[in-house]
Amino acid sequence: MAREIMYRDALREAIDEEMERDATVFILGEGIAERGGSYKVTEGLLAKYGAKRVRDTPIAEAGMIGVGVGAAIAGARPIVEILYIDFAMLGMDMLVNQAAKFRLMTGGDGRVPFVMRTQGGTGGGVAAQHSQSLEALFYHIPGLKVVMPSTPADAKGLLKYALRQSDPVMFLEHKHLYMTKGLVPDDEHVVEFGKADIKRPGSDVTLIAWSNMVPRALEAAAKLAEQGIEAEVLDPRTLVPLDKQAILASVARTNRVVIAQEAVRRGGVASDIASIIQEEAFFELDAPIEIVAGLNIPIPFNLELEKASVPQVDDIVAAARRALHAKPLALAAE
Amino acid sequence: MARPILMPQVGQDLTEGKVTALNVKVGDTVGKGDIVAEVESEKAVFEVEAFETGTVLEIRCAVGGMATVLEPLIMVGEEGETVPSVPAAGFSGEDAQAIVGKAAESVAVLPVEAGHQAEALLRTGTGGSSPLARRIAAAAGLDLAAIQGSGPRGAVVKRDVEAYQRSGKGGPTSVVAFSGGPARPAAGGTLPLRTLQSGTGDPVVFIHGFGGELSAWRPLLAHLGLANPVLALDLPGHGSAAGVTASDFEALVAAVHGALAADKVERLHLVGHSLGAAVAASIAGGGDLDVRSLSLLSPAGLGPKINGDYVAGFLSASSEAALRVWLELLVHDPATLPGVLVRATLAGRDGTAMVDNQARLASGVFAGSTQLFSVRDALKRFGGPTRVIVGTEDRIIPAAQAEGLPAHVALHRLPQVGHLPQLEAAALVGRLVTETVRSAG
Repeated sequence: MAREIMYRDALREAIDEEMERDATVFILGEGIAERGGSYKVTEGLLAKYGAKRVRDTPIAEAGMIGVGVGAAIAGARPIVEILYIDFAMLGMDMLVNQAAKFRLMTGGDGRVPFVMRTQGGTGGGVAAQHSQSLEALFYHIPGLKVVMPSTPADAKGLLKYALRQSDPVMFLEHKHLYMTKGLVPDDEHVVEFGKADIKRPGSDVTLIAWSNMVPRALEAAAKLAEQGIEAEVLDPRTLVPLDKQAILASVARTNRVVIAQEAVRRGGVASDIASIIQEEAFFELDAPIEIVAGLNIPIPFNLELEKASVPQVDDIVAAARRALHAKPLALAAE
Repeated sequence: MARPILMPQVGQDLTEGKVTALNVKVGDTVGKGDIVAEVESEKAVFEVEAFETGTVLEIRCAVGGMATVLEPLIMVGEEGETVPSVPAAGFSGEDAQAIVGKAAESVAVLPVEAGHQAEALLRTGTGGSSPLARRIAAAAGLDLAAIQGSGPRGAVVKRDVEAYQRSGKGGPTSVVAFSGGPARPAAGGTLPLRTLQSGTGDPVVFIHGFGGELSAWRPLLAHLGLANPVLALDLPGHGSAAGVTASDFEALVAAVHGALAADKVERLHLVGHSLGAAVAASIAGGGDLDVRSLSLLSPAGLGPKINGDYVAGFLSASSEAALRVWLELLVHDPATLPGVLVRATLAGRDGTAMVDNQARLASGVFAGSTQLFSVRDALKRFGGPTRVIVGTEDRIIPAAQAEGLPAHVALHRLPQVGHLPQLEAAALVGRLVTETVRSAG
């Protein structure tokens, strides 16, 4: 059976269950212990597991990430919560040059079972330094795994898996998603990395989306269905490892692809997925691959401009119609 | 060292030409690109260019005399240098090949008429259809050009191909596989079988490709280490058989078969290029002639695709500049395309039904960018030594179509080579053909 719970509750369940199962799991972050975290993910954990395993830190992201990577190398399973992904930039050396390389440089003997939980994306006018979607930075670094759950069930299952495998994981949540609800299985629920999920099956066009673009793609698919277009929504769930086979299989079914990412268009993961598709499924394509992405700008503070700078549902609908060589809606009515 | 300026290869199977003008005399200095002489074939006058700078040491043929094709016409070198007494004998076909290659460098590319260039670019592009539409059409043997597109800017997309198939217009085109049965003869005469090299043993018969002619094999001869007689013929609508017609693949095969029978060539090795390779494979698979070995260069008939734009452009180009644009698609490196090939092709068309007959043949063997015949079964039936040589940069017939051949067939994929491996990799092709012939014993 399953219960309907919020994304943030699903994350808490995952941490709680894994801390209970494995005594080496601990979590550290800003305001996560006494306050229970800015998004209430860690509420109640201090009381249950004590200050040794649920630790508040100073505002010092480089130090927090360094402690986490070091603890992981020493054999613990740390979760470091970084309040905004924007602040993770302070720890890039530990992530890119240490965590991502350690396994290779020790001939495979040294492992880094380190999980960095953080959140990105736009929401509520928190402006350019608190709104970025930076998955492409981590996606680019061999040695890091990049996880971007879009639903409570995926959030729980993927976080539990992250705490059972032995490589550094960039666990990227979205500030818009914490309060969203979804069904989560009652039983033990673990989701393996590298398995895409078809969030909605369809035959006419594949919408590839992750994180907060998944609910938007689903909404777009509902609108398209009213127009007689059956869109398939494919959520890769983990960008590294990427479930290439699921993507290619879906493209073979639909022959048209729209990739939606909130991150800026330039140098994004969508471009890389498009490149994989054109390379490996070129002769399955009946239309150019459409990419719906954020503008190449810092996110504005003004709420209307913020909205205009990242993909909205209607942008995805329009791209899907282009991929189907259908007229734009404004013209189709005539 | 004295270097020759060669009598150019100026026409359909022309072995000699008349010298009509000499612009230099012994002792003159010539520069690269200078026009040193004019020679005449039966149809046209050709200018002879100097390919390097030097002093004229010797002129081998006076005005009014006949000069042999690809033999030295004028010797050029340092002032006061003496020319070896018998240079012609020491002059190898390999040198000729090098010089013909150099000719390409010195032929100035004439400005292409703007209209034609634009047309060429449009026709060689891959726009106008989606990759999936192209794949479905190719698999079904449909000509995309016949399908009305409804995609962006009229592009043919999947739904257009499917609608076309549903309309019944596009029933899959039948794929002809010649099985050696009774065949219709070609109309308008027979194909002469020419001896390019005399020798002993089973003859090696060369069959050129679409738009080619038998004399184009000559430069390859120098790279063959064979004592066998070497024969070649012109396909219907080509070279000296410009007036002979064949309107489909079966008729084409029958015409070649007829020419071999007429000359009582019953035990032979076959070497073919492109469409000629498909003819060779069909004859080998037919089983009634004793084909000892099969060497196929850039063969047609192994898959559905051919560059229909090339065929159309080649047939419609009427100026040297326009034709050159299309012929350059034949090679990976345009510098390897001999200028004389362009001029000789145009000259050969003059006053003959060649273009009409080639167009008729093309429409019978290709539909747009689709080959209407297959020789895969024939290859399967022919169990003798078989070598397929393709250039990976082939822009006329995709090299990938030579995949999946019967297991006894050797496949050589030559990098940096286009549709004419016998030109761009002459030494290797010569060696491989030689090995194939010898392997048959």
